[in-house]
Amino acid sequence: MVTTAPDTLIRTNLDFLRRHPPFDRMEADALHFLGERLATAFYPADSEILMPEDGPPSFFYIVYRGKVQARQVGGVAVTEYATLTLGPGEGFPIGAISAGRPSTNGYIAVEDSYCFQLPAADFLRLQEISPSFQLFCTRYIASLLNQSREQLQVQFSQRAAEQQTMTTPLSNLFKKAPVFVAPGLSTRTALEKMVEAGVGCLAVAGDDDKPVGVLTQSDILKRIVLPGFDLTRPIADVMTAPPHTLGTNASAYDAALEMATHGVRHILVVDAENKLKGVISERDLFALQRIGLRQVRSSIESAANVQALQQASQDIRQLALNLLAQGIGAEQLTQFISALNDALTRRIIELNLDRHDLYGVEYAWLAFGSEGRHEQTLSTDQDNGIIYVLPEWADKEPLKLRLLEFARDVNNDLASCGFPLCTGNIMASNPDLCLTIDEWRERFGNWIREPHPEALLNATIFFDFRVLLGDEKLAYKLRHWLLSMTGGNPAFLKAMATNALDVSPPLGKIRDFVTDDDPRYPGTIDLKKFGARLFVDAARVLALRTGVEATSTVQRLRQGGGRIGMPAEELSAMADGFHFIQLLRLRHQHLDTDHGAPGDNRVKPDDLNELDRRILKEAFRQARKIQLRLKLDYQI
Amino acid sequence: MSWLSRLLPGSGPDLSPEQQASLAAITTRPAPDLGRSHFETRYVIINAESRPMDGGGQRLLGVGAVAINRGLLHPAESFRAELGTAPADALLGLLHFVARAPLVVYNAPFNQGILERGFEQNLGNVPALEWLDLMVIMPSLYPERIAGQARMDAWLGAFGIDRLDRHDAVLEALAVAQLHQVALARAKAQGLTTPQDLLESQTSRKWLRGS
Repeated sequence: MVTTAPDTLIRTNLDFLRRHPPFDRMEADALHFLGERLATAFYPADSEILMPEDGPPSFFYIVYRGKVQARQVGGVAVTEYATLTLGPGEGFPIGAISAGRPSTNGYIAVEDSYCFQLPAADFLRLQEISPSFQLFCTRYIASLLNQSREQLQVQFSQRAAEQQTMTTPLSNLFKKAPVFVAPGLSTRTALEKMVEAGVGCLAVAGDDDKPVGVLTQSDILKRIVLPGFDLTRPIADVMTAPPHTLGTNASAYDAALEMATHGVRHILVVDAENKLKGVISERDLFALQRIGLRQVRSSIESAANVQALQQASQDIRQLALNLLAQGIGAEQLTQFISALNDALTRRIIELNLDRHDLYGVEYAWLAFGSEGRHEQTLSTDQDNGIIYVLPEWADKEPLKLRLLEFARDVNNDLASCGFPLCTGNIMASNPDLCLTIDEWRERFGNWIREPHPEALLNATIFFDFRVLLGDEKLAYKLRHWLLSMTGGNPAFLKAMATNALDVSPPLGKIRDFVTDDDPRYPGTIDLKKFGARLFVDAARVLALRTGVEATSTVQRLRQGGGRIGMPAEELSAMADGFHFIQLLRLRHQHLDTDHGAPGDNRVKPDDLNELDRRILKEAFRQARKIQLRLKLDYQI
Repeated sequence: MSWLSRLLPGSGPDLSPEQQASLAAITTRPAPDLGRSHFETRYVIINAESRPMDGGGQRLLGVGAVAINRGLLHPAESFRAELGTAPADALLGLLHFVARAPLVVYNAPFNQGILERGFEQNLGNVPALEWLDLMVIMPSLYPERIAGQARMDAWLGAFGIDRLDRHDAVLEALAVAQLHQVALARAKAQGLTTPQDLLESQTSRKWLRGS
């Protein structure tokens, strides 16, 4: 039997592909699918292969022979590289073709090159039939995410430099230009200047700006007031000389050590020529030290009153900003915020227990909603409740009253620490939300039996409960009972799924994104309603269906999705999508609402850089994927 | 239609009525417009497979062909045939694949010669086709690479094209096709934008060389 001509040519394509990743690991069927669809084109040196203005690419390209350079086009750098050279076996443009949008790079043959070309529709089909290729593309998109994170770091570094760590150079810690006077100045004039500038430490320096001495507030009492020092005499006669100095490159830690060693509260900072550049006080260093994860945590746990916790709550915000600046991912960041907010809430509850005697009462303080899912951003109000056990011998009314009074104080303290009272009254002080385990069951049971819209809305808030303080067993029992009720109840799950599908990802057919039509917020997307919630709601259905106890969206996706046989890579891509949206929300809340305005979730896609827009689009595609799964499973 | 008279009984090989109809269908189809750009043109690259005959000369054994359609070389658009015991069918198959597209060979005196003899002997007729010879065209397009006429290996080497198996007519045609893609890129840059331009350039080149 003679080999047909197409077979011969396909075989040469396959021989090439098998020598290059990721095709070397591609499934045989998929590889053949690819091999028979690749057409070869020639591009002479310096010719354009694909340019952004070509619109959405018609082909996926694999370099067969030669060199192709990806070059940034336009003013905004969206990746860390300015140019990137692709050789045989390397493909492009994965991101653009996956997202069906024009390439951000221009691709130019830098020497005579042959490229294989696969039609865009076949590229998408290949991802469907080849798990290994899909994984490759997913990882590629994830690497874009990392680049975005690195970019974020740069964006933040300036803002965060002032309050980072004890290794920060002193030059980054000055708040204002140093206040100093000449040594010949009269003491009276020098003191007037000190009062005028409102400083606790006055430096004395010559005409050449070199410091010769220092006078601090505590010196005034001992050296001037008590001895009756003559205020017409020059300041040089009463100052401390020589002053303690450190170079601008010394760290905050060096300054702390210098202060501790010599028992002083101020250090003069000088440049290489010994000229005075600034004054660092013990207080400056103290502020620096307070804002570390460990410090915030221990200050919360040792707080004696609500005032101390109010400071801690501001520190959590500052810490979150610093962590964001250090390029930490959304997953870890929300975990930190959640852990610290938990600690803060627990301390508030503990402080209130000193005033409210609940000794012997079996109860637990519950968190609902985003707090229950460990997914708090910084502008969430409180959602909480109480579950308790009514002993047989006890009267219900007095016990409940005691719990409600206690809850009211906790709610108010939380509000004073930056967690606004819930406008929907989803708070433990609401008698409807301070219930025994049987009452909770009855309430949940009603929603499951009659899933009308309000019941479904309640389920999306209350089914994400979690114990913050108290008897974990109570919540555990309620959780198990709940999962046994929902797991075998397709009608309820379908209602939840339909509810979850109420909102679609804001992906446009013509434009990239569909923005809000609310005239008050032109060109924006509410990333909570049209982003995070899509994942959260779908993940909840998965969890209730498959009996996953975890409340966090990513855990629910990973565990629940795994139980119904969704591939781990697919689930990871969904988790990445969710995290990216959370990261954008956090970034927006921290960066853009720096001036005290209340944080919101409205992001303007047009204000994002090209890379973030691409990833956001991919994140929405992931949301669409999980929604599609629900649609199929429940035939909605 | 003068060539039809050659098909009359007794004047050539015996073709069955089906074969005659097939040949007629090919030769009467409209010729492609050679005045359109390379990237709107379908070229067919042909490589003849032969063996020296006892009495001198070459005997046509088979043929491999690939198309370059709109600049792209697609594996599905390729053709192979052994002449074997049904040479007329093999060559009819080739002509159907060609579909009157301009043909490209390396070394026309050999390839075009042996193929036209094959058509004459087995179909009783030499269809009117346009032939481009890269051996002639390449030195005029890339004089900085190789100035005069050269062996195919020299040109393949100059552009890093692999000659995968010189005993496989299809793979040989593939190598020539890749060379033709290189030729088209430079032709376009030199203002020779259509097959017609290339054919005219080839003629003047041959005339200049006095061949």
